Amino acid sequence: MELLTTTNGMEVVYQKPPTLTDTPLRYCPGCGHGVVHKLLMEVVDEMKIQDQTIGVAPVGCSVFAYDYMNIDMQEAAHGRASAVATGIKRILPDKYVFSYQGDGDLAAIGTAETIHTVNRGENILIVFINNAIYGMTGGQMAPTTLLGMVTSTTPFGREQQVMGYPLKITDLVAQLPGAYYVTRQAVHTVQAVRKAKKAIRNAFVYQTRRQGTCFIEIVSNCPSGWKMTPVEANDWLEKNMLPFYPLGDLKVPAS
Amino acid sequence: MISPDTTHPPHSLRLRSGNQMMAEGALQAGCTFFAGYPITPATGIFKTMIDLLPARGGVALSAPDEISAVAYCIGASMRGAKAMTATSGPGWALMTESVQYALMTETPLVVALVQRLGPSTGGATQGGQGDVLLAEYCTSGGYTIPILCPTNARECYELTILAFTWAELFRVPVIVLSDKETGMTIESVDVGSLPSITSQNRPSNFAFRELGGFRQNERKGTYYFDAIHEIPVFAPVGGPRKVTATGSAHDKQGRLQKNSPETLEVLLHLEQKVRWRLDDFAVVTADLQPAAGTLIISYGITARAARDAVSEARRMGERVSHLIVHSLFPIPVKKITQAAHNVDEVIVAEENMNGLYRSVIDRHLAGKRVRGVNKIGAMITPQEILEAIMS
Ligand SMILES: Cc1ncc(C[n+]2csc(CCOP(=O)(O)OP(=O)(O)O)c2C)c(N)n1
Ligand code: SF4
Repeated sequence: MELLTTTNGMEVVYQKPPTLTDTPLRYCPGCGHGVVHKLLMEVVDEMKIQDQTIGVAPVGCSVFAYDYMNIDMQEAAHGRASAVATGIKRILPDKYVFSYQGDGDLAAIGTAETIHTVNRGENILIVFINNAIYGMTGGQMAPTTLLGMVTSTTPFGREQQVMGYPLKITDLVAQLPGAYYVTRQAVHTVQAVRKAKKAIRNAFVYQTRRQGTCFIEIVSNCPSGWKMTPVEANDWLEKNMLPFYPLGDLKVPAS
Repeated sequence: MISPDTTHPPHSLRLRSGNQMMAEGALQAGCTFFAGYPITPATGIFKTMIDLLPARGGVALSAPDEISAVAYCIGASMRGAKAMTATSGPGWALMTESVQYALMTETPLVVALVQRLGPSTGGATQGGQGDVLLAEYCTSGGYTIPILCPTNARECYELTILAFTWAELFRVPVIVLSDKETGMTIESVDVGSLPSITSQNRPSNFAFRELGGFRQNERKGTYYFDAIHEIPVFAPVGGPRKVTATGSAHDKQGRLQKNSPETLEVLLHLEQKVRWRLDDFAVVTADLQPAAGTLIISYGITARAARDAVSEARRMGERVSHLIVHSLFPIPVKKITQAAHNVDEVIVAEENMNGLYRSVIDRHLAGKRVRGVNKIGAMITPQEILEAIMS
């Protein structure tokens, strides 16, 4: 399907990207995952690279990503997405390859893969959905869980003495010489969504330069795990997540 | 060990899942250290430990993955803490490196493995009994790892206590092999009639010291034994005496060696200490009928369907025996051959594709017709087992 520009003589101002399938999203109402899926597929459609793009999404709430994104999608084992993406990219260096990982996946069980993928400067895009919780398994503490935040495995709030500090893995990644473009975005407001899309588009374009890894953190929400309505979750995100995970670029290409 | 549900009046019924009962059994056994990583269908054990253990002065730690979770437990156990972790198939795959390390270093450890449908990520919310051999044969060399298998929430409690006793006394990793249905089904448990026993402790050189044997043992080294099946006295790290542990092939003092005679003796000892005690490891529920022509063997969740099938078959006039195996490994050979003694036919019911347990007990059933009732993707029903009995 092509992007429409006009229909019945009227200008098209908004449409679902054709590469996003018609499958109803199984995400909870208000969840950020769906928005990021849409942005990715919008960029793929605008760049006309549907048949040149390969995604790797591991387990997590986005385990059904292959159902929503009409491109080649692989589901990797927990934590292994960027490693599988590495193998794909090394064999198909001309394709656009991205991984799509939650915070549990990328910053806990997959930390070694994350650090080494970026340190090698693999020419892939890593999309990192940070909702500060394990969504799929029912709301347990993640490495990114804020201090004091209540989850099912921190029933009295995350205590630094017991469970350490929330991990700013994006800041770590930005230190690595193999990182080419590192940015932190969000999708909780219209303005944030627009910026996030621009970042995703940049990252896809940068991938063709073969200068290193592009890494986009999306500070997202988990209304179910946080036990909030979607609106409350986005407010909470703004007031609590963003002060700790400030939005903006951490590393940008020289030119 | 397995006490029937009916010995006490049901005066204190509570709703409990198998996962909760496993955690409560661990606490009863004196477990003071738990580390976990979320994974369906085992998360309930982790969650219950997080809720209960710190309040009792223990440590319950969230790990960044299963590799760390099991390694934390081994470290804690090296000091003498009774330690446990819980996972399902994908996490178990990651733990096997350190489970081998626990076996090699003779470090007591209890792992709850709540099975789901595999392979790989498989079906997170779909049960199965497909990890039986993956669990048992996770070591290079195929060393015997004791595996206990509960069929309901109450047995989750009882067998977890027993698992700690075995881990402690024999200095081995012990697996409690549950499954999604046993772990996550909430059922009534008569908590008032639960056994008040706790698990036994490893003989440690704290005691040795008091007996005056400390210096002597020091010369002999961390892994010292005289007879091949003897359990070395446990020496905790961080004590007054230098302790070394190594996952490399080692002599009795824990010194790395490739294939010296003493090292090979230590390797043999790792297996013999379990084999020599085979009868101590046999836990079964035998419901045998004189002159039965057929024996049903089952374990875990499938045993509950088998029990129904057997009583229905008997109601229809069939003579049929039933053996529920709770200690899958080491294989309770005597109990199995005794139960099968006079029957012509043995039917092994298990929720996996190829009859995993059947494939390893087959050799002990020479001369019998051995069949399986197998299935994946759904629980085996009493009707399916009944049809096998009647056919
Ligand atoms: C080895 C292994 N351990 C644990 C799991 C269970 N598991 C599935 S998804 C997941 C984490 C989900 O959290 P996250 O990556 O933050 O993604 P979200 O669901 O929040 O989007 C876990 C622990 C698994 N599938 N494999
Ligand atoms: S559990 Fe959380 S992350 Fe998962 S779909 Fe629901 S809101 Fe989104």
